[in-house]
Amino acid sequence: MTIDHILWTPLAFAFLCLVPCPKRTTRLTFMAGAAVSAIGAWFFVFGNFSGPRIFAFKESLMMDALSAVFVLLIPSVGLLSAIYAGGYLFKEGETGIPPAKLRRYAFFFHLFLFTMLLTVLSNNLGVMWIAIEGTTLASSFLVNVDDKKSSIEAAWKYLILCSVGIALALFGVILVYYSAVEQVASGETGLLLNWSFLLAKAKYLDPQIIRLAFIFVLVGYGTKAGLAPFHAWLPDAHSQAPAPVSALLSGVLLSCATFGILRFHILTKVATDSAFSDTLLIVFGVLSVAIAVPFIMEQADYKRLLAYSSVEHMGLAAVGLGFGGTLGLYGAILHIVNHAFTKSLLFFTSGHLYYFFHSKEISKVKGIFRKNAFLGTIFFFGVLAIAGMPPFSVFFSEFCILSAGFLAKQFIPCAILLVLLALIFTGFLRQANRMTFGETEKTEMPAKSFLMDSVLVVGMIVIVVMGFYIPRPLQHLLQEASRVAGGVVS
Amino acid sequence: MNTEFVPSLIHFFGMMLLIVSFWMLAAPQIGASIRAYATHSFLLALITAFIALTNHVEHLLIPAFLTLALKTILIPQVFFRIIRRLGIRKEIESYVNIPFTLLLAVLLVFVSFYVTGEGKVLKSVSFGEFIPLAVSTIFFGMLMMTTRKKAINQVLGLLLIENGLFLMGVTITFGMPLLVEIGVFFDALVGVVIMGVFVFKIRGAFESIDADDMTVLKG
Repeated sequence: MTIDHILWTPLAFAFLCLVPCPKRTTRLTFMAGAAVSAIGAWFFVFGNFSGPRIFAFKESLMMDALSAVFVLLIPSVGLLSAIYAGGYLFKEGETGIPPAKLRRYAFFFHLFLFTMLLTVLSNNLGVMWIAIEGTTLASSFLVNVDDKKSSIEAAWKYLILCSVGIALALFGVILVYYSAVEQVASGETGLLLNWSFLLAKAKYLDPQIIRLAFIFVLVGYGTKAGLAPFHAWLPDAHSQAPAPVSALLSGVLLSCATFGILRFHILTKVATDSAFSDTLLIVFGVLSVAIAVPFIMEQADYKRLLAYSSVEHMGLAAVGLGFGGTLGLYGAILHIVNHAFTKSLLFFTSGHLYYFFHSKEISKVKGIFRKNAFLGTIFFFGVLAIAGMPPFSVFFSEFCILSAGFLAKQFIPCAILLVLLALIFTGFLRQANRMTFGETEKTEMPAKSFLMDSVLVVGMIVIVVMGFYIPRPLQHLLQEASRVAGGVVS
Repeated sequence: MNTEFVPSLIHFFGMMLLIVSFWMLAAPQIGASIRAYATHSFLLALITAFIALTNHVEHLLIPAFLTLALKTILIPQVFFRIIRRLGIRKEIESYVNIPFTLLLAVLLVFVSFYVTGEGKVLKSVSFGEFIPLAVSTIFFGMLMMTTRKKAINQVLGLLLIENGLFLMGVTITFGMPLLVEIGVFFDALVGVVIMGVFVFKIRGAFESIDADDMTVLKG
């Protein structure tokens, strides 16, 4: 088994899902595909992956510890999401979605997973760009499943804004290539965009061009990662997409774009030997957290509430990368992982909430706990987790990031962050309090399918356990990943 | 070939490229705008091919050919099909009137010559005047995206940005590695098709393709 198997699995299943057959069979293929992708990725990362770097396809693809973390993350969240979608979108009966449309949905779902995996596995920065643009194209149809006015608007905004952003990132990629062509011996044109090659030769690259390139990449991929002030598409797309897709968008798509920024950040740091990119990441990160605050405090729509919280958490991850140091980088990567599981769990509960209350408005949702104690418990603890309450995993990674900030003597951004996080915490708690407790007419609702409830349970277990104990192999992988993020050429 | 003749021909194409991008901004109808885009891509393909031949970088001929096939013929055809099926013949609506758009465009050309002036930051591999031309093409694309109301014009603006980036790549590095270049073309093509599908959906749901009618989502 090599790296490309990880990529072929979702691609093959994408086309398998297109085969015309009854809903039941499509559903089975759809869920089996996600399961096979996930299990394959786990086995590969924990079984075969040993060396610092594994290459494939003439070094265009590469797996190092950093990408290994994302290779674990993407299909895992993908699997949860596919199981949830299996119960959510594939329901039979008159209200169900027509089979042809479902097949298309399943196709784009797997294609989306494929493009995300390609993003994190590409060594060639140009291929990475193509893959990130591919994620936009593949997921635009997932955002708009019901063809409602608002969904179309969200999908259009998403397509246009992200495409423009990505176009700017292409300029950054061209600049990096230019600096390589300028400074490094020619004749190796095939290698010149390879990240591993560029990193090894980083000292010879023109620092000024690399700085310029980083700015373009930060704006470009930052649009995709939801960093403020380029996040305009994010709340719309996240609120209009079906719950399993929102979970994927928020949990892993944003992380993939952050991964793209991180690759360039490592390169910039080694090439310029300055804190230039650190400072930019901290500034945009803090700005993202700050912009999220008012929208979280005064939000009327619970899916948008979660979306703005994603802006906040991507900002925090960026800040962690900016603070740097072993602790900061470790914290940032761990934060991306924790956020992916916690936020996808919350988006799954939002699917349940919509089913129980038929509305996305917070004011219409009251007394979840009385209506369904199971959902109320999961939702309330999920909100506590995302707001950064101690026993849960997000608290731990936020703690790492802030400690790294204090270690790096970045007192001003740390102080600002602490205030902002406190505000967000109270905002979240106030909103969740009103939704979870409070009076409602006691109407017995039939529970959602067992499969979907079990997704919530699994998600909850993951975020609780990760708060106390990270399994040894994973811990090792995360530490190696933070070393890679620190620019260690091994 | 004559050593004097080819460079001056390429300079001429460069001038034409700028004029065509002005045409694209000034075009009163969507059809004219699409034709301007096709011409722009055609000139881009010619310039790329000439740069490839004069500098003996034959691998650049493939992107040149792809520009000709995809951006000059295929993508404009897709656009014409879309506007035929949507039945648009109306004039282009803009937030800013056309004379003022052109004035802004002239300013943007000055800005792009100023910021890139005389290899200050970027040095070209051949024909340095294409660097500011590429930057102004990118600016024009952004101008088009921000000032036009129709969703379809926004897509054209995006493609113009893409053309500018391509020209930039060719001028400063003889284009990116072939694998990447082909991938970028593929993404552009798929992007146009997907956006085309969405233009129809917008039309179906909003009964117009004015992007500024889309104001459901706020806050």
